[in-house]
Amino acid sequence: MAAWSVRCLLQRGTRLVSLRGAAAESPLQLVGCIRTVKTTTWFEEHLTEDNQEYMRKTMAEEYRKQTAEKLNPLKDEPWPRQEWAEGSRRVGLVAVKLGMAPIWTKTGERHVVTMLQVQDCHVIKHLSKEEHDGNTAALVVGGKNVSPFHRSEEQMEMFRNAGVPPKQKVTIFNVTDNAIIKPGTPLYAAHFRPGQFVDISAKSIGKGFQGVMKRWGFKGQPATHGQTKTHRRPGASGPGGDPAKVFKGKKMPGKMGNVYVTAFGLKIWRVNTKYNVLYVNGSVPGHKNCLLKVRDTILPTRSSTLINPPFPTYFTEEEGDLDEDLYDGNLFAHTEPSLTLT
Amino acid sequence: MAACTNRLDKFILSMRLLRNQQLQNERFLSTSVCRPAPEKDSDPPKFTPPPKPVIIDKSKTIILRKFLSPEFIPPRQRTDPFKFYLERKDMILRRKVLKIPEFYVGSILAVNMADPNASGKTNRFVGICIQRGGKGLGATFILRNVINNQGVEMCYEQYSPLIQSVEVLKLEKRLDDNLMYLRDAMPEYSTVDPNMKPETFSTSGEVPVNKIKVRMRPKPWLKRWERPKFNIQGIRFDLRLTPQQMEGAQKRAEPWREYDMMKEYDTSVLEEQIFSEVQSEMSK
Repeated sequence: MAAWSVRCLLQRGTRLVSLRGAAAESPLQLVGCIRTVKTTTWFEEHLTEDNQEYMRKTMAEEYRKQTAEKLNPLKDEPWPRQEWAEGSRRVGLVAVKLGMAPIWTKTGERHVVTMLQVQDCHVIKHLSKEEHDGNTAALVVGGKNVSPFHRSEEQMEMFRNAGVPPKQKVTIFNVTDNAIIKPGTPLYAAHFRPGQFVDISAKSIGKGFQGVMKRWGFKGQPATHGQTKTHRRPGASGPGGDPAKVFKGKKMPGKMGNVYVTAFGLKIWRVNTKYNVLYVNGSVPGHKNCLLKVRDTILPTRSSTLINPPFPTYFTEEEGDLDEDLYDGNLFAHTEPSLTLT
Repeated sequence: MAACTNRLDKFILSMRLLRNQQLQNERFLSTSVCRPAPEKDSDPPKFTPPPKPVIIDKSKTIILRKFLSPEFIPPRQRTDPFKFYLERKDMILRRKVLKIPEFYVGSILAVNMADPNASGKTNRFVGICIQRGGKGLGATFILRNVINNQGVEMCYEQYSPLIQSVEVLKLEKRLDDNLMYLRDAMPEYSTVDPNMKPETFSTSGEVPVNKIKVRMRPKPWLKRWERPKFNIQGIRFDLRLTPQQMEGAQKRAEPWREYDMMKEYDTSVLEEQIFSEVQSEMSK
């Protein structure tokens, strides 16, 4: 993939030089370029410069119109809404990790929160029980718009059916039948309320090929006292002559990070409904500006806060009079006067 | 071009003719009609002297000192600027409740904080500010004082809700941005009277710089303050170090660092934008 892109750059360089004469590409110029990947093409390959610009502009306008249409899901013949029942699971969101900041409680304790922004989250498809896995229905949700020019036709078909711009991250949420939502509905941060607990899954930061001390926390060997070339090595690899083998799953050096990790039971301290930002306790896997999957906790001790959540999701039309900032009961909002402990 | 000049000439000619016409008319009028007749509209207007020039004495206008607290300037990171904007909103909300004054490293501050273990539930600490760290809501400053021959340093978070008031008793700057070397200096340089009265300072003009050079305790110090990495101007090295030791320290100088383009971070444009934003929000 990297080699293909390098070749691609070289090709683009040669083509741009030839295009300065304001002529269309001639087949003679393409003969000199080496093209190794012959299956895929990029959208600009056979277009003139004017057409490229036109494509970009029209696509942008189309997506702006699509998002504007979908802003009022309740007017768009939504699917019939059902009541929340004990044991029902509702959909989650796809959010972008912005960064971390400190917060203080009303007793003066300091905690740290991660800020997550819900950017352009839409429901894309509904998979019924039979289509999905035979047990539960599922909803396919996507977040953060990207350009359509680098997505395959199969993916684009899915987005076109929902009437939604193509998304960077597309995930599946297992959902009970009473919580299904029509594809194309936008999802907002107010879907979660302060005081609720969430689980967040994301790809952890990739560390590359790492040794056994960093990857598994082995102690290594001493720095001095005669150690010959052995300071960070794993040491022994198993019992000895009886098994006479190394067991499967032995902790050894290898690629670390860049795997999906879930953080469970994170409390939501604050929700900003104007900018769709969630303030979530503690740290969250992933680097800054990465996309995360946020859903209600499965921890049994924290599910009591899920009584009467916005079900199946938060609709702006019916609950549009929420404050710009929703705070948890214990959180110190900076508009209040300084604390005086009595 | 020729057509333009032709037209221009014609225009000028026509103007001249008109003016001559006007003058001739006036001459006729002035001789034919006897004075006084100022009520008639056809008379030339009375001479009105030009308006008096307004002289603005720039030396007397008071220009307030422009100060943006250093924690507002975001560090050079790959974070979305929107995250800094959200933090700034919270910082401004807090600043409207708690007045955090302008201060620098080297100024003497007094902080009143809510403390569950103190009598009266508040405690007051007076000290000299030796460091300002952190960005955004987690900004901190460290105050140092010597109480009963014991050096005490308190690190306060500027936006913590436990802080009830921050007063500047003496506003001044020092030769360095970081006064951590006061830990190795003689105690009299860190002693501040806890019952000091606030001194008045002007809100315009330059901040006074205290060019004091501090005497140090004998070596070993906590850090090798003579090394060029710390770039300290405010220590009297000649009393504790020989010229050979000073030269030895200069061996660690890295003169190429100032030309390192990857470390360049020009914040002037950002600072102006943030300053205007903060000013407008604070005045609301």
